[in-house]
Amino acid sequence: MNEAKINQVALPAADVLKHQPLVLNYSQGLGRCLGLYLGQSILFLITCTSVLSVFLIFFFIIKEALPFLREFSPAEFFTNTGWYPQAEKPQFGALALIVGSIYVTVTAMIFAVPAGIFAAVFLSDVVSFKVQSVVKPVIELLAAIPSVAYGFFAVMVLAPWMQHRLGFTTGVNALNAAIILSVMSLPTIISVSQDAISAVGRELRESSYALGATRMETIFKVIIPAAHSGIIAAIILGMMRAVGETMVVWMASGNASRIPHPWWDLSLSIRTMTATIAGDMGETAKGSEHYRALFAIGLLLLVITLCLNLLSEYFLSRTAKKTGALK
Amino acid sequence: MKITTRSHFDKIFTAVTWLTVLVIITLLIMILGPILSKGTSAVIFRDTVEFRKMQITLFRRGNEMKLSAEKKQTAAVRQKIYDTIDDFKKGIDTQSLTEQVRTIYRRCGQELRRKDLTPQQYTDIRSTLKDIRDRLEIAFASKDKAEIAECVTYVMKFSGDENFKGTSAEDFFVIAADFQKAAKKTDLTKQHLYAESVGQIEDLLTLLLGPRPGAALPATAMNQFGATRWDLAQSILDKILWKEQWVSQGDGLPLVKTRTQRAEEFAGTEIEPLFGYIKDNLKTMMKPKLRFYWQYLIDDSTPGHYFGGIGPEIIGTLLLTLLSMLFVIPLGIISAAYLTEFASDNFIIKIIRVCINSLAGVPSIIFGLFGLAFFVLFLLPAFGAASKPCIFTASLTLSILALPVMIRASEEAIKTVPSTYKEASLALGAGKFRTFISVTLPAAMPGILTGVILSLSRVAGETAPILFTGAIALGPVPSSIFQSTRTLSYGSYDMAVGDRLAMMVPHNQYGMVATLIILVLCLNAIAIVLRTRLFKKLHGH
Repeated sequence: MNEAKINQVALPAADVLKHQPLVLNYSQGLGRCLGLYLGQSILFLITCTSVLSVFLIFFFIIKEALPFLREFSPAEFFTNTGWYPQAEKPQFGALALIVGSIYVTVTAMIFAVPAGIFAAVFLSDVVSFKVQSVVKPVIELLAAIPSVAYGFFAVMVLAPWMQHRLGFTTGVNALNAAIILSVMSLPTIISVSQDAISAVGRELRESSYALGATRMETIFKVIIPAAHSGIIAAIILGMMRAVGETMVVWMASGNASRIPHPWWDLSLSIRTMTATIAGDMGETAKGSEHYRALFAIGLLLLVITLCLNLLSEYFLSRTAKKTGALK
Repeated sequence: MKITTRSHFDKIFTAVTWLTVLVIITLLIMILGPILSKGTSAVIFRDTVEFRKMQITLFRRGNEMKLSAEKKQTAAVRQKIYDTIDDFKKGIDTQSLTEQVRTIYRRCGQELRRKDLTPQQYTDIRSTLKDIRDRLEIAFASKDKAEIAECVTYVMKFSGDENFKGTSAEDFFVIAADFQKAAKKTDLTKQHLYAESVGQIEDLLTLLLGPRPGAALPATAMNQFGATRWDLAQSILDKILWKEQWVSQGDGLPLVKTRTQRAEEFAGTEIEPLFGYIKDNLKTMMKPKLRFYWQYLIDDSTPGHYFGGIGPEIIGTLLLTLLSMLFVIPLGIISAAYLTEFASDNFIIKIIRVCINSLAGVPSIIFGLFGLAFFVLFLLPAFGAASKPCIFTASLTLSILALPVMIRASEEAIKTVPSTYKEASLALGAGKFRTFISVTLPAAMPGILTGVILSLSRVAGETAPILFTGAIALGPVPSSIFQSTRTLSYGSYDMAVGDRLAMMVPHNQYGMVATLIILVLCLNAIAIVLRTRLFKKLHGH
């Protein structure tokens, strides 16, 4: 009797065991569920490190810059060209530095954008896959070289060459920095715009060829207009690289804080925001006005690059939508 | 437009794209070429006997027996140069000759007092000595050969005098004879120029051969040895043979560099053949040998990197990168895993992605500022440590910089794992976590490794973030992670811009940058190989 009872009870239990993956009892399901949630939330928290980092970067840069922003009028910061932090009556006018940054960046882009787009077209539309697979890693090498090595080249090779061959009064000048910056931003521009150009489908190309257009016409009238937002994103990303670059401009731009006069004279020395931070920070006392002013420049730089970044993301998402729609 | 013009345009366009890419590749070669080729000369070069001396003195390395034999051989050849110059100087360096004569006169006076002489004899000899001294001084100051001859003959009259036998006064006659001999040969009006030029030659010889045997050893290591490299020796030889001058062409015109042969300047003197002698015997004096100085990569250096290698810099760079990898690898892989495998596509995830992209776009100098403000000035004091830049803070700063690189690469790697793998695992009853850990992660491992190596190479090359958070240009090898360190990247900067001494050793300047570039490029090459292998494996080609 007892045995039969046990059998009767045991039988359904064995049945349950068979189907265990499918039918869980309440506590088992809860445990697993909780485990999964707990695990996922831990993973989520760890993933949030990047968010935390961005937040902390903003917080600490603003925290250090705030006393300066309170004391000095932003109007003076943006309009005064005198950067004399060590003077008896210190002046913190960042205009010359901002202009310097824009100056080298724009000059670098004048060199880099056409070259980058031509190279991207070359990789996607002109050569065979085989040549492309050789050339692409070579161009990627340019991105791998550390910035200090570029700076070294600018100071040790390019600057003496400019001074002796081109007859400039100094080899470390805006042109030198701009040339190196354009080389440095080329890989970014090439790879992003190549992606955008390749993402324009075969259909568009083939219809254009079918209508009798040559390759040049197809590229200029069909493909580049179709890929324009990706190319704009590429240019913005390249600009970000150039604006944020420190070592090259510090070493190659000459570090003279002034607005070039005449404005087109590239052989003059200039000074950028990044170079000012790198150059001055080592010599300032922590917590001094000068120190805070450097953080204010850093904040400005951070805001500029963040805006550029959001802009590039907007353009990239537009390409993604467009190519998605085409498919 | 005609169809032919259109096709011409098309061809021109194709040519332009080719040209652009060729220009870019040429630029790459132009940048890497000189750096790498000159950098290699820090390791492979022709050394000289001075290099071997330096190696034994500073690093206790090399064969001392062999070296002392070599020293003997070279010393004999070198001595002849020193002797010639000393001889020549006897006729030129009137200032020191005058001094010498005065010293001898004083000494003679002392000797005279000790002698047993009558007052009359004493005054006689004394006045003769004074006469000799004055005559010699006149001779030294004179530019007229006849006058010199007259003075010297007058002095030499006394050379046979019994009173001067065995006294210091004999030195007068030696000097007088030497001077007359030298004065006969030299153009006396040029004495002044000669003295200056000989001084320059002596300085150059010290650079070439090191301090003179017997002279006091200079305090700094860089002055204790001559030219340690054959190329350096040759460039110094060139400076010895040719005199470079900036000559003005007239008012308002730029100065022009001219080169004149020093041998011409010294034409007719006994120094003239010396230049040929140095040129012919440079090899016997320096004994160049091809050397593979691999210890460059482990040696410490003397201040300013004048001698020695870049060992501490390499160790510092490795320490920084490996320590930052310790933070980045787990964070990066977990973030990537969460974003690809577990997260649903909602608003918060979008924010996270925007943040990661923003982090990737932050300029490297901002990371430096942040590292200074947060890690150095806030975090360290918060934990009771001294608030100073160190390896720890530098590597934390670098790890934040490398985080987006790592996350993106790992995401790509995890995404490339075919979904069939995961589906098979899920179908076998494994949960999400188990599937990820035992199926997806191993399959994505090569890709993740690529990401690790890419972020390693990024971190190794960065300079701006560690400027204020832990890098120094000079200093001891760190003994703990709470000390600052030298690194390849900061060292490269410092040697290119900050250090005047480094300008004299271009091979070491280039050597450090070349090492950094080779390190980074090798890491990248490994990453590329891994990536292609993974691609082939997963796509079954």
